[in-house]
Amino acid sequence: MKLFLRDQSPLIAVYLAQLLVITYIYRLDGYRNTAISLYAGLLSGCLLVGYLAYRYITNRAFYNRLEEPLASMEEFTGGTQSTPLAESLQQLLKSQLRHYKTELNQYKHKIETQIHFINQWVHQMKTPLSVIYLMVQDEDEPRFTAIGDEVDRLKKGLETVLYTARLDTFEHDFHVEALDLEAVVRSVTSHQKRLFIRKRVFPVIRMEGAMTVHSDEKWLSFVLTQLITNAVRYTVRENRHIHFHGSSRGPDTVLEIRDEGVGIPASDLPRVFDAYFTGENGRSFQESTGMGLYLAKQICGKLGHRIELESAAGEGTVVRILF
Amino acid sequence: MFKILLVEDDKQLVSLLVGHLHKFGYEAQAVTDFDKVRKQFELFSPHLVLMDVNLPKYDGYYWCRQIRNLSTCPILFISAREGKMDQVMALENGADDYITKPFDYEIAMAKIKSQLRRAYGTYAGSSNERTVSVEGLTFDVERLALSWNGETVELSHTEAKIVDELLKKSGMLVSRDRLLEKIWDDQAFVDDNTLNVYVNRVRKKLTQLGIHDSLQTIRGQGYRLYPNWGKAL
Repeated sequence: MKLFLRDQSPLIAVYLAQLLVITYIYRLDGYRNTAISLYAGLLSGCLLVGYLAYRYITNRAFYNRLEEPLASMEEFTGGTQSTPLAESLQQLLKSQLRHYKTELNQYKHKIETQIHFINQWVHQMKTPLSVIYLMVQDEDEPRFTAIGDEVDRLKKGLETVLYTARLDTFEHDFHVEALDLEAVVRSVTSHQKRLFIRKRVFPVIRMEGAMTVHSDEKWLSFVLTQLITNAVRYTVRENRHIHFHGSSRGPDTVLEIRDEGVGIPASDLPRVFDAYFTGENGRSFQESTGMGLYLAKQICGKLGHRIELESAAGEGTVVRILF
Repeated sequence: MFKILLVEDDKQLVSLLVGHLHKFGYEAQAVTDFDKVRKQFELFSPHLVLMDVNLPKYDGYYWCRQIRNLSTCPILFISAREGKMDQVMALENGADDYITKPFDYEIAMAKIKSQLRRAYGTYAGSSNERTVSVEGLTFDVERLALSWNGETVELSHTEAKIVDELLKKSGMLVSRDRLLEKIWDDQAFVDDNTLNVYVNRVRKKLTQLGIHDSLQTIRGQGYRLYPNWGKAL
């Protein structure tokens, strides 16, 4: 209604102006009967109101559409009213939606091809990685150990690529089941044993009783691996520990991962979960990608877990996952 | 002797695996013509098959089904894919177990061994009776027993892993990192101090056998088992 009145206001103004002009001209010519003039004005005013009412009623849907914000794309094409204006707006919206959808599908297809390619490629890389890994496994010279460590890093990198690419199609790719939290933590830490041993940092696992959590094992393990990698990387001194503590807090099961590392400066804390954010520590430590915590947060969100981080520079970092 | 057929198209991986399997006393052969996997299976009639998923022409699932028409022998998949669905696919196509790349020799060997044991009876065949022997000091891997000169001592699981590693590389330096890696398992993490304790226990057991001063500590690096007991005889 408001829009309609605003739209028609020039017409009303022009109409009033010409009414005044005509009455004035008649007045100058000698017709001085005010009552007749007013009557004529009233009659022609009625005509105008009638016309406006007709316009409004026939184009009501059109004006309503223009005024109300759209909730979804599908509403573009709903409900028609057969006035030329409403119809052509409808046509315009429909063709726009069609173009838009075509373009969207093209991009969707492109992204899917890309993800497919990345998946394929990562898996192809795993065979050469296996070969290198098998070659150095039985060797115990420092240079072979170094190659082994690099293989580990490559493997971790590939994994991150894979999981980042999969994040968008998460819905097709997860399976929630009841997991024994301690078993998951032990399996992840033991997979990362070389990392721990190389840095002389050791895990301490403490669970308050048997803890069962509902989660997807693969994604949860990936999150834990990211957190452990961070914790170990930022523990500079040797013979420190990383504490895994499982407890119940109200209805939640909490897994706390506490390291004794360098910690995160308070100024960086609000942004640690942002993608590509590396902060102070990123500048002083190599190979910070800023993706670890971002992915952890995203995945936890999708799994329905919460993740919290506390840290004080120099005192270490605590990350909590609330199931 | 158990025969193992490898259906894997990466030549390097095949040669490494074949070499390792030979070392453990298995007869291993790799498929060379990926058009005729079934034919080669019939010719070689293996006790166990190691199967890759991505193969030229047909995939591993296909060949697995083909083999299942002929035999019920254990089939172990080796694949780069670690998704649950991929594993389910493999198992539903007739596989018995699944190893993801990149894998440890130890895990692969353990799975092979356990499949063979399940399919052909407990501890059948000679390849399971693995012993390591250096200058008469013999370590029985299955029984966790170390014997020399008619004497035998039992070892704990962790001690056995240390002895195994030291004997395999006798005379050479074995780094602390490597020992830590070997004895780390899901149940117990071993830090530096614990490793010291275990090494001392091994030393004590060697003394019980009458072997002195052969387990040497190389400061800051690791340990070396110096085979000096042979001369004492």
